[in-house]
Amino acid sequence: MSAGTTLARHLTAPTGERPSTARKPQHAGIGLRAQHHLELLEKRPQVEWLEVHCEDYFGRGRPQRRVLEKIRPHYSLSLHSVGLSLGSTDPLRPEHLRELAQLVRDLDPIFVSEHLSWSSIDGRFANDLLPLPYTEEALHHMATRVCEVQELLKRQILIENVSSYLRFTCSEVSEWEFLAALVRQSGCGILLDVNNLYVSASNHGFDACTYLEGVPASAVQEFHLAGHVARRIGQHEILIDSHSAHVSEAVWELFGVAVRRFGARPTLIEWDTDIPALEVLIAEAAKADRAGEALHAVAA
Amino acid sequence: MPSLRELQQHFGTALFDNAPDTLLPWICSDGLDVESRLRIYRNNLHGSFRKALALEFPVIQRLVGDDYFHQLALDFQANHPSRSGNLLQIGRRFPQFLSGLMEGTPYGYLSDVAALEWAYQEYMEAPRATPIDASILLQFSRDTYPELSFTLHPGCQLVRSAYPVLRIWQVNQSEAAVTEIIDLASGPDHILVRRGTDGVELHRLPHGDFALLLALANGATLWDAYDAAFDADDRFDGGDALRRAFALGVLIEPRISRQATS
Repeated sequence: MSAGTTLARHLTAPTGERPSTARKPQHAGIGLRAQHHLELLEKRPQVEWLEVHCEDYFGRGRPQRRVLEKIRPHYSLSLHSVGLSLGSTDPLRPEHLRELAQLVRDLDPIFVSEHLSWSSIDGRFANDLLPLPYTEEALHHMATRVCEVQELLKRQILIENVSSYLRFTCSEVSEWEFLAALVRQSGCGILLDVNNLYVSASNHGFDACTYLEGVPASAVQEFHLAGHVARRIGQHEILIDSHSAHVSEAVWELFGVAVRRFGARPTLIEWDTDIPALEVLIAEAAKADRAGEALHAVAA
Repeated sequence: MPSLRELQQHFGTALFDNAPDTLLPWICSDGLDVESRLRIYRNNLHGSFRKALALEFPVIQRLVGDDYFHQLALDFQANHPSRSGNLLQIGRRFPQFLSGLMEGTPYGYLSDVAALEWAYQEYMEAPRATPIDASILLQFSRDTYPELSFTLHPGCQLVRSAYPVLRIWQVNQSEAAVTEIIDLASGPDHILVRRGTDGVELHRLPHGDFALLLALANGATLWDAYDAAFDADDRFDGGDALRRAFALGVLIEPRISRQATS
């Protein structure tokens, strides 16, 4: 089947949520990094779910993968891919897709997610989340690729908004309009990274609340929270998505707006640089739970 | 307006080759010059590559210091950019790269240390080399022994250096400051890297054992491998060396490799 007919089918098909077999978590989870593997296995702390970067666990039989398989019976797991380069015009890598599909089969995750971004061109990889121009062509391309991955995995994937540090003059629509159209065209869900939204809104001067109003509520299935840092370049302040700190007060506030708009969703704390003790991550997750409960109480 | 592919190629050239001219017209300045915006992405590009490389070569980083390692990572990345959606195994060509870079300098040993670190990394993920029973040889009549050949277990690798790289590697494993002075002339080292039960083991082998295993690994018959071992060490004892090799699980799949006669 050609990519064109795949897209056409999704354009005409109803885009309702495809159910996932795993139970959705009720409490906030944490991003699991290798530093905490052994401690987690030994102490089995109270945390309902974990999210891992898929690419770190590619290769059945590798030590990292074996550790994850030991952890899996004790915690729900979500798979977060960072290397598919979905938005790239280079072909998708069959080997990468095979590994991802194997991991999904082996671990039965709650969610599988990727990013609204690209990371490679002509075979060179930046291993970063590079921004897309929000054009008709990019939308068609992204939707086609999301469909391809969903068909391969036989399940819905979530697409996450990324932090960005530049915009393209050729963008025809806003990021939220692009994301909403991607949901319509591919049937994907949305992983709303509240920190990324805050960072990009600040860097590009748009209103984060307008963004939240612009994405379809039923598609939002997971929230990410993380820390960022501010850099001053000349007279200009730019926010960098560093995943190196506590969630900022401003991002907690925006999280509140998001929860009021979309309702409670499984929420994840990410921390990738200067990774703190496991307790710190778990305390941050508990804070997200308290914030969610407080909002719930206000609403009731 | 450029196509998506053209735009990504312009971005790639700006990012990887520091040549942003074709990209510039397509970026909004929004009050901050485009070069500063691109620098954020370049910092990410170099930072994540450098961190991944440092995880694979911690001893090299320690030996050359953070600043020079930073420069090495930049140069290596310029020549060998990541070709995969993950950064596992980006350092495969780093030892060779260092070898070219350090040729003719007093730092020739760095590439050998890097080769040992790479072997160590790689064999953390190799299948375990488990000892095989030497009685397997009883399947063969003694007069065919000279024509036996073997396969090197996939969990084993041979690393040779003119320098004392094993000692250099060992003293740089702990966080503690190193006070030991290592005489670079105290080599050579002949090392077997082996994936054992509890992780990777590094064994310093007698020169004769190393020559024997290297010859066998390259497909030689036992007869020719013994020759090579005697050339390396005239006190070489074939029986002892073979027993040691079996005990470490280095040699598998004994078979007769008689030359076909027609």
